[in-house]
Amino acid sequence: MNLVEKILARASGRESVEPGEIVVAKVDRLIMHDLSGYLTSQVYEKRVNTPIPDPERVVMVFDHHFAPPTEQQADVLRHNRQWARKHGLTLYDCGNGNLHHAAVRNGHIKPGMIVVGSDSHTPVHGTLGALAVALGNDSHAGTVLPYGKAWFKVPETTRVHLEGTPQPGVTPRDVALWLVGRIGEGELNYRAVEFGGPYVRGLSFWDRWLFPLLCVDLGAKCSFVEPDEVTEAFVRTLPGAGPDLLVRGDGGEAAQVLRFDVGEVGVQVACPPTVGNVKPVGAVAGTPVQYAELGGHGGGRLEDFRAAAEVLAGHRVHPDVRFHLVPSSREVFAEAAREGLVLALHEAGAMWFPPSTGSNQAYNMGALASDEAMISTHARNFPGRNGSPDASMYLASSETVAASAVAGVIAGRTA
Amino acid sequence: MKFEGRCWRFGDNIPTDRLVKTQYVFEPMEILVQHVLEDLNPEFPKQVRPGDVVFAGKHFGQSSGRAIATKALQATGIGCVVAETFARTFYRNCFEVGLPALEVGLNPGFAADGDRVRVDLTTGEFTNLTTQTMIRGAAADPFLVEMLEAGGLISLAKSRPEVFR
Repeated sequence: MNLVEKILARASGRESVEPGEIVVAKVDRLIMHDLSGYLTSQVYEKRVNTPIPDPERVVMVFDHHFAPPTEQQADVLRHNRQWARKHGLTLYDCGNGNLHHAAVRNGHIKPGMIVVGSDSHTPVHGTLGALAVALGNDSHAGTVLPYGKAWFKVPETTRVHLEGTPQPGVTPRDVALWLVGRIGEGELNYRAVEFGGPYVRGLSFWDRWLFPLLCVDLGAKCSFVEPDEVTEAFVRTLPGAGPDLLVRGDGGEAAQVLRFDVGEVGVQVACPPTVGNVKPVGAVAGTPVQYAELGGHGGGRLEDFRAAAEVLAGHRVHPDVRFHLVPSSREVFAEAAREGLVLALHEAGAMWFPPSTGSNQAYNMGALASDEAMISTHARNFPGRNGSPDASMYLASSETVAASAVAGVIAGRTA
Repeated sequence: MKFEGRCWRFGDNIPTDRLVKTQYVFEPMEILVQHVLEDLNPEFPKQVRPGDVVFAGKHFGQSSGRAIATKALQATGIGCVVAETFARTFYRNCFEVGLPALEVGLNPGFAADGDRVRVDLTTGEFTNLTTQTMIRGAAADPFLVEMLEAGGLISLAKSRPEVFR
């Protein structure tokens, strides 16, 4: 059995499981943000409404809001707070960061766990060697909250084996975007995707994070990187108990193996209208942008701000561009301050926002007019995602986003 | 389980954000249902009738996993949603809220807007009555059919709590 099968077998009290079987398994963590939490609470209060036996397993993070801009949104947050308090759920209020980063940084996610959430990027927690799956609000309300369990179909596994050495200037984010273009959106429907090979093994924890993040756009159910010494060292930096659930596969079980040489990859930009419309940066270089942003579920890591500070050294943000910096967690902002990145990027003309998902879906900020364009580290670029459906959203690495903020047009980083 | 109605055809890679736009997420269902898929076909929310069938291309319902998108589609009264392939959380949500869904694989151009179509979920057959052609998709897992028959996941959990204890 591989990691996913082992986790499902253990959590469903079985010796073994096979792809295609449906099992009911014990869930270790339910994570919700302010929108999914609200929708789940509505279903729970109206249709289930019993005490929640294990409220400490449930973590809610307000991340689409960092401060509600309307009365209606304030009401949503007030409702969520009251609901969390009534049932004793763990709540991280506005300003703590985006759901996934805040849950990890505060020690709620560990290897070997089953993690569920209705945010579609929940599978990103497979970076820690957890089985992390996005479920709908009815699953959370109907089975996870009252019984601590959920049903799962055991997925077949595809291993994405990455080897080779990237060209100078090509980042893990470029490799991840390139893979969506090469494999194709939805092409790994219902599968568990394992990212492995010497390239992945050689990456730091937060660079590995960029790969399971994108698996949902490949259509996958979940994604993972098998825990190793990098995972273990990272988990030791988190609050709470150590990685005592490290699960490893028996090797060689993937039903399908896709091999790629990362040496083929150039600097990439995902263009409208979907994440899979990936092009070399040269194909769209020169396109004017009015907004650039390091944030969303795909960005706001310390690594992103370090990269931006390097690109901006000796330069200023172009006068036609608003460059948003959105830390993924309070811990990242604190570290960015200690490293001097906060002042350096501020003085170069960028704008800091509170830890959150930033302009993702424009709940607080970052709505686009019909003829405007944004380049960002966000995870999504669907039409209408941020304001007008006629606006253009481009996704790229933090280096490309920062270089574009300086140029006022989409631009690759120059040496 | 059989459904027969008019076909509404949509393309590939349609995200849930286009079923329910961000600005409507907190609105009551009677408002949501007036805006479902309106960017892609403004006539859909105005003209859809109970029993109609939504037929989409690849990776239907990708992006956000919020079940409100599925519920808004269900609230239009459609009998069934058919797609070449579904995004997995969307597919799961369909059965959990009690909306029948059938995946039929590659079939470009099989049915167009306004064609009369029939779906048999038990056999996986999808028939275009206008052109008298049929394709066979993957019949849903018995567990999912049981969920549909119970009226969705929460009703199933209430009627058979031993499954989740």
